[in-house]
Amino acid sequence: MKLSGLMLAAGLALACGLAQAGETAYTVRPTALKEKPYSDAKTLDNLGQNAKVEIVGRRGSWNKIKVNDTTGWVKMLSLRLGDAAQKTGDTGFKTLFNVASTGGSGSTMTTGVRGLSEEKLHNPQPNPQAVEAMHRLAVSKEEAQQFAQAGKLAAGKMDYLPAPAAK
Amino acid sequence: MKFNIAIVILLSTLALPASAFDFGNMDNLKDALQKAKKVNDQVKKATEDVPEPKEIEMGGSIASNLLGAAPLLKNAAVQKYVNDVGRWLALQTERPDLPWQFAVLDDEDVNAFASPGGYIFITKGLLMHMKSEAELAGVLAHEISHVLRKHHLNAIKKGARTELMTEFASEAVKEKGGNKNLIKLANAGTELYARGLDKDDEFEADRMGVVIAARAGYDPYGLPAVLQTLQSLNAKDTKLALMFKTHPALADRLSLLDQLMTGRFDSFEGRPDLAERFAAVMNGK
Repeated sequence: MKLSGLMLAAGLALACGLAQAGETAYTVRPTALKEKPYSDAKTLDNLGQNAKVEIVGRRGSWNKIKVNDTTGWVKMLSLRLGDAAQKTGDTGFKTLFNVASTGGSGSTMTTGVRGLSEEKLHNPQPNPQAVEAMHRLAVSKEEAQQFAQAGKLAAGKMDYLPAPAAK
Repeated sequence: MKFNIAIVILLSTLALPASAFDFGNMDNLKDALQKAKKVNDQVKKATEDVPEPKEIEMGGSIASNLLGAAPLLKNAAVQKYVNDVGRWLALQTERPDLPWQFAVLDDEDVNAFASPGGYIFITKGLLMHMKSEAELAGVLAHEISHVLRKHHLNAIKKGARTELMTEFASEAVKEKGGNKNLIKLANAGTELYARGLDKDDEFEADRMGVVIAARAGYDPYGLPAVLQTLQSLNAKDTKLALMFKTHPALADRLSLLDQLMTGRFDSFEGRPDLAERFAAVMNGK
């Protein structure tokens, strides 16, 4: 138990340190480079489409980036990871993802020695004791509400959004 | 029960024209048969709607199969935390009273799963790549949306023989497994984790997920942030293979969230992401 926790912590620390620092990204549209992560912050520069930048951090919906020795903030969703030059016509590593996601029959997959191997999903061995243990982990509505309050999370209303029209 | 009624209707309509059988009545016979088929189809369709207790029963069996493939993470604090976040999110939805339960799987694979009736799973491998509670909330809300819209249940229904689903739906919930129909359907549902849902179901879960996170008071950019992190990982890593195989390309998912959120979600700037609370739990403090 303690060991798993420690391993998780170690893994997390690793992820925090490395996941995005120094990642190369490019802008998918003309984008304002802001001094701070707010829409009304001072604009340092206006980046064109396909500008190559380096991501150095994130806060909320903003990425902190470095571009031509200037550090500032841009909206996260105006960036895609990777190099624009390699991505002309939406190729680059997107192609790689597509290869990975068009398996279909499953015959193209190589099943390595992993816990969640596909083989175990095709020939399942039920574990009802673990389901019982999972039941016991569930929390009540009241517990969840207290948890939200402790985190100062305020619930609000918002309708689901329709699918964007196809381009 | 309902299934029996369907058979009675079918038999009685078949019996009726037979008693008045002559060549002059051929058209009537055809009409009667067509009508009988129509009535039968309607009843069949109605019986195919799986009652909620049966949905939960099926979800439990699929969960059991998944837990046979990957064990629960033995860390009570992390499991409790994930349940707190998940239950709070589920309270903001149209199905707040399902028996929602969440679990972290002790597995290095990067993935998350939903099973009918409110069973939600996230792997340790995915949790390790997250940086805040808002990111966890974004992923859990995506999975919750699959349950809300019955994506897996409908996919199982589509693939299964009609009689199998009809019979299952009309049976009483059994305390212990061992039910042949249930096992067959649950195994089909488990295979779905290797095959994946329709792309549109995934996109819909992304769209709903960011709204549910926003309703719950979180920074709603948690889900796109996780997708961006996944983009930064080595796509050839085998730990990502199953997730990539069963989901649309990350760039496509981010583009659709971009179209959806840009402009509409600006007012949520500065919402809490609770990165500190997340780090405290993950670091065992």
